[in-house]
Amino acid sequence: MPVAASAIYFLNLRGDVLINRLYRDDVGGNMVDAFRMHIMQTKELGTCPVRQIGGCSFFYMRISNVYIVIVVSSNANVACAFKFVVEAVALFKSYFGGAFDEDAIRNNFVLIYELLDEIMDFGYPQNLSPEILKLYITQEGVRSPFSSKPSDKPVPNATLQVTGAVGWRREGLVYKKNEVFLDIVESVNLLMSSKGSVLRCDVTGKILMKCFLSGMPDLKLGLNDKIGLEKESQLKSRPPKSGKTIELDDVTFHQCVNLTRFNSEKTVSFVPPDGEFELMKYRITEGVNLPFRVLPTIKELGRTRMEVNVKVKSVFGAKMFALGVVIKIPVPKQTAKTSFQVTSGRAKYQAAIDCLVWKIRKFPGQTEPTLSAEVELISTMAEKKSWTRPPIQMEFQVPMFTASGLRVRFLKVWEKSGYNTVEWVRYITKAGSYEIRC
Amino acid sequence: MAPPAQSQRSPSPSQPSGKSEVSDLKLQLRQLAGSRAPGVDDSKRELFKKVISYMTIGIDVSSLFGEMVMCSATSDIVLKKMCYLYVGNYAKVNPDLALLTINFLQRDCRDEDPMIRGLALRSLCSLRVANLVEYLVGPLGSGLKDSNSYVRMVAVMGVLKLYHISASTCIDADFPSILKHLMLHDSDTQVVANCLSALQEIWSAEASTSEEASREREALISKPFIYYLLNRIKEFCEWAQCLVLELVTKYVPSDSSEIFDIMNLLEDRLQHANGAVVLATIRVFLQLTLSMTDVHQQVYERIKAPLLTLVSSGSPEQSYAVLSHLHLLVMRAPYVFSSDYKHFYCQYNEPSYVKRLKLEMLTAVANESNTYEIVTELCEYAANVDIPIARESIRAVGKIALQQYDVNAIVDRLLQFLEMEKDYVTAEALVLVKDLLRKYPQWSHDCIAVVGNISSKNVQEPKAKAALIWMLGEYSQDMQDAPYVLESLVENWDEEHSAEVRLHLLTAMMKCFFKRPPETQSALGAALAAGIADFHQDVHDRALFYYRILRYNVSVAERVVNPPKQAVSVFADTQSSEIKDRIFDEFNSLSVLYQKPSYMFTDKEHRGPLEFADELGNLSIGEAANNVVPTQMVEENDKDLLLTTSEKEETKGSRNNGSAYSVPYDGSSTSVFASQTQIESAVSNPTLAGHSPQASFAIDDLLGLGIPAAPAVLSPPQLKLNTKAALDPSTFQQKWRQLPVALSQEISVSPQGVAALTAPQALLRHMQSHSIHCIASGGQSPNFKFFFFAQKFEESSNYLVECVINTSSAKAQVKIKADDQNTSQDFSTLFESALSKFGTS
Repeated sequence: MPVAASAIYFLNLRGDVLINRLYRDDVGGNMVDAFRMHIMQTKELGTCPVRQIGGCSFFYMRISNVYIVIVVSSNANVACAFKFVVEAVALFKSYFGGAFDEDAIRNNFVLIYELLDEIMDFGYPQNLSPEILKLYITQEGVRSPFSSKPSDKPVPNATLQVTGAVGWRREGLVYKKNEVFLDIVESVNLLMSSKGSVLRCDVTGKILMKCFLSGMPDLKLGLNDKIGLEKESQLKSRPPKSGKTIELDDVTFHQCVNLTRFNSEKTVSFVPPDGEFELMKYRITEGVNLPFRVLPTIKELGRTRMEVNVKVKSVFGAKMFALGVVIKIPVPKQTAKTSFQVTSGRAKYQAAIDCLVWKIRKFPGQTEPTLSAEVELISTMAEKKSWTRPPIQMEFQVPMFTASGLRVRFLKVWEKSGYNTVEWVRYITKAGSYEIRC
Repeated sequence: MAPPAQSQRSPSPSQPSGKSEVSDLKLQLRQLAGSRAPGVDDSKRELFKKVISYMTIGIDVSSLFGEMVMCSATSDIVLKKMCYLYVGNYAKVNPDLALLTINFLQRDCRDEDPMIRGLALRSLCSLRVANLVEYLVGPLGSGLKDSNSYVRMVAVMGVLKLYHISASTCIDADFPSILKHLMLHDSDTQVVANCLSALQEIWSAEASTSEEASREREALISKPFIYYLLNRIKEFCEWAQCLVLELVTKYVPSDSSEIFDIMNLLEDRLQHANGAVVLATIRVFLQLTLSMTDVHQQVYERIKAPLLTLVSSGSPEQSYAVLSHLHLLVMRAPYVFSSDYKHFYCQYNEPSYVKRLKLEMLTAVANESNTYEIVTELCEYAANVDIPIARESIRAVGKIALQQYDVNAIVDRLLQFLEMEKDYVTAEALVLVKDLLRKYPQWSHDCIAVVGNISSKNVQEPKAKAALIWMLGEYSQDMQDAPYVLESLVENWDEEHSAEVRLHLLTAMMKCFFKRPPETQSALGAALAAGIADFHQDVHDRALFYYRILRYNVSVAERVVNPPKQAVSVFADTQSSEIKDRIFDEFNSLSVLYQKPSYMFTDKEHRGPLEFADELGNLSIGEAANNVVPTQMVEENDKDLLLTTSEKEETKGSRNNGSAYSVPYDGSSTSVFASQTQIESAVSNPTLAGHSPQASFAIDDLLGLGIPAAPAVLSPPQLKLNTKAALDPSTFQQKWRQLPVALSQEISVSPQGVAALTAPQALLRHMQSHSIHCIASGGQSPNFKFFFFAQKFEESSNYLVECVINTSSAKAQVKIKADDQNTSQDFSTLFESALSKFGTS
């Protein structure tokens, strides 16, 4: 049985019920109390997302300041249930326009009830595709005043048949200007030892698209990935072009991608949904270009003083620059006073997270700013044990750079009316969990 | 159009007192009920929202039922939806009032707008009032025939809801067969998927009473139907795909080409963006190839990349679910992920439940080539801020040490832990060093040097303290001040709260006494006196027993308390392969996360371990044979086969009695002490008031083994076997570990025998007629594995046999172990003749 959820609850951090939807009678009505009693009010909270209490299993997830709890009484498919929650939250977000938090839920609870009715029936997940739901959902979400899109689109005709081969796209869409936006967003994860050797490194990337295209267009995307290029050169019986090819460890696609064609021809071809969607995700572990190198030296001078020197080297092209670079350098709890010198950006000591936080708003390539700090510690008798150093953590965004080296070679759009399209391609690399031990 | 945010926020539950608001609402609703003024719908909406928000936070607004129903006469769909929600929530407690709603719901079911038809039908079925079911049948029947797929989709689920309210009404109206027709012919895949969900539930529930239903249920996994679904799988939505894939796992293809066809068809599902689909596909692949060893291995290779992607993408909760599955897989095939160990390195900010599973993965994938890196990484975590994780990582290092052959580097690391001067690190490391010494006594010298430097005052945790005391006792001749450390511990006897530590202290004092009598004598006296005066029964009994045995004869006491020890070769796994296989069969479900088969946590009665063990015991012979065990697994499973049955004994019999003694050796939660100090435990068992058969058997062992010079009984000329021999599985297991192989030979099996051996049971019955009893069996053609035992007539001398029969080569590999080695040849002859008659009689 895939999910067969007996009930779904949304709770705030205090345990107040924001939404409660009972789908089946096989669990009692006091399930919220059980959850509050046995999970929320104990140390268990957050130690395990799946718990069994008296014959029922509770799956819970925290999303911003809301807990979403699914209660099942059977041997349910957990992965499916969590995926369902994630998808449902994404759906709610698309209705509220951005944030998913307690306020948004309170402001939209009728809409959420409406959605919950459609996306799950008697505990079985139904269609979550926003295109189809638009037909059944009459309410517009209450968007936060900051969200960009005005909510003035016409309510589509509910009797429209949407099923069939292309369930994710309605027919008869018309745009004055046909545009496609394609973003390659990579997040690079790194774990580096204090000696500077890479312990673990990988890139998870996704290709996000925004399509404003008329009719039923057919799109074809070419990347510089190894399999695709090899296949192409095979088909055209000419030697593969020189240049960097990327080996993708694993790829998953949006349901619109013709997987049979991908497996036979190794091209990504699809009829896109209207609006925003995630076309594909991929993972790479070999040949990752790390955008930053961090060289820390931390010396403990006696029991009350520490010297911290951190050099950060940007190893991408000199014409590029990174944005929003934040380097968090951990210091002991008993830090009393700090003084810094930085060659770029700003640094300050944040006692709440026991870190020196060094921010550089714009960080050009091929530069190496440094931070040197002196840290004075309060000497305490209790803390005789040596300080366990957490890793240095780093956040950044590097536009027009991909850590994997992946590039779009072409993006073709065919539609029977033969209109012209404008294609926009962007690249960005973000820090995933970028940790350097020191 | 939604009103602005502020106006909605007002009804938010700022602790309303309840009563006055509700009556206020009642009044307002009543005013609006009859009104047809313009804008009345907007005011109604506001009021309805208030009602719903009160309902959500648990204020009883059921008293408004009448007014709500009155106001529901509207064409506004938003109002309708809210009203349906309200009615659905309160109809069950107000069955009389619910009758009021039937009318308008039935009318809406005939509305011209398909959406209203659908909504009304859904609400009608959600009333859940038993005496209203008669009103459901009509609308459901027409809903199922509706021209709009949305209505049909809702109606199908409605049938299932009806079934749960009143099964007989649903069956009498012949809805299941209508659903079946829809499932096979509807053009909308969501309708088909819902039919499938509903029918699976209905027929499974009916199958126990109706033969037809169970036939229908079987038909769901028949070839034509499965192919029908598989060929359309791409049209289904992602959740429905999961449903279909789950059904496919139950399908048994007729031959290997069919298996390949299905796998080829589904291969691209591994690239689906929805992780649930990917996992469901993986399950299909694993199940289909279970009997094809080579392909099964290839499947592991194929699913590796998608699984690793699932681990690293998505929320921590999703990673947790996937990691649990990886852990299950890695237990079956450790080599699969051994080169990908870096994927299981913990990130600093990950939640501890993910870290914990990653640590388990690192432990499981460790092998000769990656141990160094993994242990280095684990040592980093030992300094983690999160203390439970730090502990887990130290334990992980220990587990790796116990499963490796080359532990050189690991021992050094463990000893470094001891020098880190953190209480919990020292505590965990002590327990590990103790376990390590039991497996690798050759390291005692290095370890003792370090352990000797630890002040017992810094060790507070009972387990660690017990471990330290055990080492002090065991290696007292090498540790200069062992007697004095122990003495000071005895002096603080009253402050020691843990009985486990006190028990250990007694034993350690004894051991120390045998090695260094003059230095220990007075402290031993004090310890025994304190022990005898102890309020804890086990401590008291052990002290008394030591005292008496010392008085009886000191050298006997030494032989009992401190015999020469063998190193432990294998720390037994606590979970039997039986259970693991069952969990594997339930891949992609909660079972994997809980690490127990579903019947252990879903059955309503909540069976305790007792019943469960009983059932397992009954199953172990029958089930093991029916279970599809790939041939290459048989080898790994044999120890576990035995364990399954022994577990039964353990839970049934003397778990409590046993635990008091087994605790000192219970170094880590997953490894249970297996075989080392057999004699020690055997003797202490009776003192712990052990009435179990194990205890008496164990004493036999003591007499048989403790005094190796015992004269062998002359073999009788003709070997006669006891027809009613009995041996409990745990004793069998013990003996199997202890005894050397007396005879090992290859016997040919007659062609008739091969023909008769279609399932293990056939041979079991045959051998039983020759007084050779089976204790465990397993396998599948062509490889079968059996464990037999027999007892000599009027004598409790046992013969244990491991017999592996390969039917394709018609050969049987037989290993015989015997209490009485001299008669093993006679027994072998007997066994061979018995086996040769198999299939002929």
